[in-house]
Amino acid sequence: MLLNFDRLGAWKWILLGITGLTTAFLILPIIFIAALSFGSSQWLIFPPPSWTLKWYAAFFADPRWLEAAWTSLRIAAIVTVLSVLIGLVASFGLVRGRFIGKEALRALFLTPMILPVVVLAVALYAFFLRVGLNGTFTGFVIAHLVVALPFSILSITNALEGFDKSIEDAAVLCGASPLEAKLRITLPSISHGLFSAAVFSFLTSWDEVVLAIFMASPTLQTLPVKIWATLRQDLTPAIAAASTLLIIVTIALMLLTALVRKGLKS
Amino acid sequence: MTAPFLHIRGLRKDYGIVNAVKDVNLTVERGEFMTFLGPSGSGKSTTLYILAGFENPTAGDILLNGESLIATPSHKRNIGMVFQRYTLFPHLSVGENIAFPLKVRRWGKAAIDARVRKMLQLVRLEGFEDRKPAQMSGGQQQRVALARALAYDPPVLLMDEPLSALDKKLREEIQHEIRRIHQETEVTILYVTHDQEEALRLSDRIAVFSKGVIDQIGTGPELYADPATRFVAEFIGDSDFVTCRILSAKDGRADLSIGAGASISGVPVHGTAVAGGTAALMLRPERLSLRREAAREGTSGLSASVTDITFLGSSIHVAAAAPSGETISVRLPFGHEATSGLSRGDTVSLDFDPETAHVFCG
Ligand SMILES: Nc1ncnc2c1ncn2[C@@H]1O[C@H](COP(=O)(O)OP(=O)(O)OP(=O)(O)O)[C@@H](O)[C@H]1O
Ligand SMILES: [Mg+2]
Repeated sequence: MLLNFDRLGAWKWILLGITGLTTAFLILPIIFIAALSFGSSQWLIFPPPSWTLKWYAAFFADPRWLEAAWTSLRIAAIVTVLSVLIGLVASFGLVRGRFIGKEALRALFLTPMILPVVVLAVALYAFFLRVGLNGTFTGFVIAHLVVALPFSILSITNALEGFDKSIEDAAVLCGASPLEAKLRITLPSISHGLFSAAVFSFLTSWDEVVLAIFMASPTLQTLPVKIWATLRQDLTPAIAAASTLLIIVTIALMLLTALVRKGLKS
Repeated sequence: MTAPFLHIRGLRKDYGIVNAVKDVNLTVERGEFMTFLGPSGSGKSTTLYILAGFENPTAGDILLNGESLIATPSHKRNIGMVFQRYTLFPHLSVGENIAFPLKVRRWGKAAIDARVRKMLQLVRLEGFEDRKPAQMSGGQQQRVALARALAYDPPVLLMDEPLSALDKKLREEIQHEIRRIHQETEVTILYVTHDQEEALRLSDRIAVFSKGVIDQIGTGPELYADPATRFVAEFIGDSDFVTCRILSAKDGRADLSIGAGASISGVPVHGTAVAGGTAALMLRPERLSLRREAAREGTSGLSASVTDITFLGSSIHVAAAAPSGETISVRLPFGHEATSGLSRGDTVSLDFDPETAHVFCG
């Protein structure tokens, strides 16, 4: 290590202070919203005068909230499956293929990551208008797939590049057909990459709001869109409850990832 | 006449404009240990990969028991291979690795278990069954890879520099294991290495590769005593080369002169010798004897002056400069009388049996 933390002296405390402030900056809004979701005040007053679960009760009692959550979950699940499958096939092509323009194609696949989402949303909206996909489930899935796929391709190509092709060749010489060798040897060996791809794809879709606002119709909304729409009508703490639930799913997935990573390593 | 066990015929492989293998011809007998020896980029691995079916040859054919292998896909060739890199399946245990080819072949569980145990015994790794590859040393991993490749009794086992990632001591240890396993299983082995010592230690015969062709095939002693090309002479054993002039050549023997002095007759000649032309005379350091006097006119002795003396334990290495300036090495046993009191700048005469020298023309 270039920097030895123990030998920093007074700097140590300054660094600790900066780290603490940054963490607080990132985490406080989440704690704030979670606290509000349990607060009894109708007007989102902080600190809450007293604690209650009634906003969660309201959330689960309202079929429109539940439907939005269910839509989000379904879209995210399908996007995850498609993103990992397409990402896997694309990665094999990008890593193993021998063709001109491979690097360019690879960069192209990653552009949705750096393109402003609004630009993408407008473009997709205009295109879907022509083919009649706006406000449809399919349109949602395609839109989210576009932004999820780069993450998928990134983690799977990484895993595949770290996997020695000779191992697959050895399986083939052992008598496994090329497909069987890929299924039984290569895929398990890059499972950490597939898992990352799945988690990132799910999360990308799960809390995506910009594309979703463009794709949504009054009858088809994801949870983030519903939160956003409700926010504009009235400021009910049910929004805080919905947000907290959104965050809980995200955190749970992150924890699961950490656990699986640890399990894969040992 | 029966067909040879394994026959490689006119093999050629081009990668675009790169000509990796030019024209390889080779027959291997059943049970033979054949080594491909050659410098980096000489086409050894490419030849092996074509045998394995990972590459298609541009031209030529490979016949196993008289039948062409070329149209058979890799996974149906029933060939075993140990790679240069570690290729155990990382998510499977040692036992499952060895069982993999048997499971693919739909063996019964009892048969697989018995076979796995037998293979672990063969490579002396009993008790390692449940380890994961990551928990094994490089040498152990290569032994498991060997067990996996032999589990299904392949007629041919390919090994592409399997020991190059190991340190010298471990390498020698596993070389002995490989020899023993070869004798026990009687499998035909094609082994690639660029380490001549390894080739000499392991092989029945060695094929010396150079720039996409085989320069010479023979046993170690044959290649050493009778190299067909200057390249083989340089690659097997130590050798020095002295420029000489061909006086006359007949029946594979040449008379030649070196510098102004010595003339030597009856040296085996390779290539087309033209009287009056220059050629390279190969001398082996251990085949030279040293006398502490200038060579007399008309003898086969070569005058040289000592430039360096190195003590190497059991032997003493004397470097001497020929009149042309070319360096000739002489290796003498420790305590040899000619070495006592020898010092730099001394003029000596180097003698050799013309039969043990070789002249390479062109
Ligand atoms: N896939 C490929 N594409 C282009 N050229 C290749 C390819 N594989 C091998 N070559 C070239 O073919 C030649 C022979 O390669 P090969 O791997 O057979 O050599 P080798 O004798 O095994 O050498 P080494 O001892 O370094 O392993 C080299 O010049 C190499 O650069
Ligand atoms: Mg090689």
